[in-house]
Amino acid sequence: MRSIQRTFPLFVTALLLAVAIVQLTIGYGAVRRASRSVADTRLRFVDSVLVDLFQSGPQRARITALAKDSAVVAFLRSGGQRGRAQALDALRRNTLDTASNVRLELRDFSGRLLLSTGRFALGDSVLVSPGTDSARFGPLQRRDTVLFFGVAAATGGTEQAAGNGTERSGGIVQQVARLQLNERTRRTLTGLSGGDMAFLFGNAAGDPWTDFGSIVSAPPANVRNSPTPTRYERGETKRAIAKAVPGTPWMVATELPSRLIIAPARAYLLNMAPFAALIVIIGTLAAWWGSRRLTAPLVGVTQAAEAIASGDLTHRVPKGRDDELGRLAHSFNAMAEQVSRSHQHLEAQVAQRTKALEGTNAELESFSYSVSHDLRAPLRAIHGFSRILLEDHNAKLDPEAQRLLGVIDQNTRRMGQLIDDLLAFSRLGRTDLSTGPVDMKELAKTVADEIQRTDNGRQGSLEIRIDALPPARGDRGLLRQVMTNLLQNAAKFTRDRPSAQIEVGSREDSGQTVYFVKDNGAGFDARYTDKLFGVFQRLHSTEQFDGTGVGLAIVKRIVQRHGGRVWAEGALNQGATFFFTLPGEER
Amino acid sequence: MQSHGVEILLVEDNANDAELTLRALKQRNLANQVFVCHDGAEALDFFANGEGPVPKVVLLDLKLPKVDGLEVLRRLKQDSRTKTIPVVVLTSSREEPDIERAYALGANSYIVKPVDFEAFARAVSDVGLYWLLLNHPPQ
Repeated sequence: MRSIQRTFPLFVTALLLAVAIVQLTIGYGAVRRASRSVADTRLRFVDSVLVDLFQSGPQRARITALAKDSAVVAFLRSGGQRGRAQALDALRRNTLDTASNVRLELRDFSGRLLLSTGRFALGDSVLVSPGTDSARFGPLQRRDTVLFFGVAAATGGTEQAAGNGTERSGGIVQQVARLQLNERTRRTLTGLSGGDMAFLFGNAAGDPWTDFGSIVSAPPANVRNSPTPTRYERGETKRAIAKAVPGTPWMVATELPSRLIIAPARAYLLNMAPFAALIVIIGTLAAWWGSRRLTAPLVGVTQAAEAIASGDLTHRVPKGRDDELGRLAHSFNAMAEQVSRSHQHLEAQVAQRTKALEGTNAELESFSYSVSHDLRAPLRAIHGFSRILLEDHNAKLDPEAQRLLGVIDQNTRRMGQLIDDLLAFSRLGRTDLSTGPVDMKELAKTVADEIQRTDNGRQGSLEIRIDALPPARGDRGLLRQVMTNLLQNAAKFTRDRPSAQIEVGSREDSGQTVYFVKDNGAGFDARYTDKLFGVFQRLHSTEQFDGTGVGLAIVKRIVQRHGGRVWAEGALNQGATFFFTLPGEER
Repeated sequence: MQSHGVEILLVEDNANDAELTLRALKQRNLANQVFVCHDGAEALDFFANGEGPVPKVVLLDLKLPKVDGLEVLRRLKQDSRTKTIPVVVLTSSREEPDIERAYALGANSYIVKPVDFEAFARAVSDVGLYWLLLNHPPQ
């Protein structure tokens, strides 16, 4: 059963829950966006610091200067032992000043090594094509656990015509620099940026990369190629921004773990959720309490209405409020009072009428009793004494007197029969029905057999056909009376037919079973159909067909008491069909 | 009590019915010792002093002046001196309640008087024959 008392708090709870969930979701999203934006700013800032660092490294300036060193230029131009010593001295001066500088070399344009310092052997290789006006950086390279790169600049040789070609007297100053990779470097950098952040450095084109502590694999291409923050997996989910170092083949990338970025949003959720839950709970309790308070008087009215509906007219709503609900209770009680009064009035009326009816019934009963008793006695006397006259004084009576006594005899018998039939008919209205399932086919067969057995005084043949008859529900004794009367009638009115045919059958008519008894007898004038079922109504003279005219009235009364209908169809000398319906047997 | 004198006590208010009954009995030679009472009170008086003759059967109508037949039946069957006397209810009423009450009060038979005289005469004489000649009352 639906109840406002239950549904209202549920509704409020659902509403509060929805508001809480929307609020938390929006708040969470906002905090996360803010926190991301802060993180991105930090990442971009550190990126730009790193780019500056690598772009304005001291190597470029130093190599550019070294390429213009007079001793180096002189050696390239004139060679000689003295020039060589002076050039090597210049190289050594530059080698010693920095730890990352592992080798300096001077090569001619074909790549042949002319001079070198440092132990880091490269063989005959040029790491980067040199710039002519300033030094250029080569890509980051790896040898075992060492990362290095070259910085090269062309040095000021002159081009001279020599023999059949031009001889270039210049060369290349190339420095090999090594990246310092150790945990200390990494931690120092990390500390500078405020912790949590990781820095990556490598070639824009791909491996090798480093986090300054060790060699790592390059970030995926989508990170390297995107100027915007990108998420990717490296041990955990990271948010990274890469930035190319202008003028070099290098790239820096900074990254923060995503979990750190969404941590504030999570903290927001964890802090706010209990509050939201508390609000929902308080709201629910308040709604429950409020709805109880509001509907309690309604429950009282409802209970009273239900009690009255189920027959307890004395039930009233308890009073005690001074608002709309109090007025409702008051009006309800007034209405209940009114209903109760009318009900009592009706009851009294019904009782009074029942009593009157009972009185009438008793009168009728005593009337039929009197008829039964008192009408027969004089009849018996008339019959008895006329018989005695015939028996004891026969000798003194002439034939006409004897005939007249015969007429008296006949009429008293008939009167006796009329009284019996009338009593039987009136008894029908008073006896109770004892209903049950009735096998109509079996019933019709029994009655038909009996009719066949007692069918005397017929000239022709009598055939009674019984079709399929569905079972009915009713008083078996009374239904047998119906069948008997109808079949007797049919037999009676076919008496003068050479070949009498009676059919008992049934048909379905709008969901109802219609039973019928059909004969090919004398029939009746259709104009008098309505008189057929009246008491003592006869459509034929007694001379034609005997009978008191009560049989069909009895049929009608029995069928009506079963809640059924009875009617007839026929035409003079063309047979008659009597129909009746009964409530069907429940299946 | 003495048993000679009266063999059939007929309680019947209708003189015609009484005559017809007597005639029917007479035809079987059963009418010699019939005593007729014309109402219920008279019938009760017949047994009142306890010294009158004891009939072999009482033919009792139900609708009687003064004291009705069912009341007479009740009194007879209540009294230890008269309760063994067979009582045949001979009446015009074929109402079921009458039949039930008569048997409940101890009636030995219930006969509905036919209107047809032959049937009536046959019924009365059969009853007389049965109770007077065939039935063995306790001694």
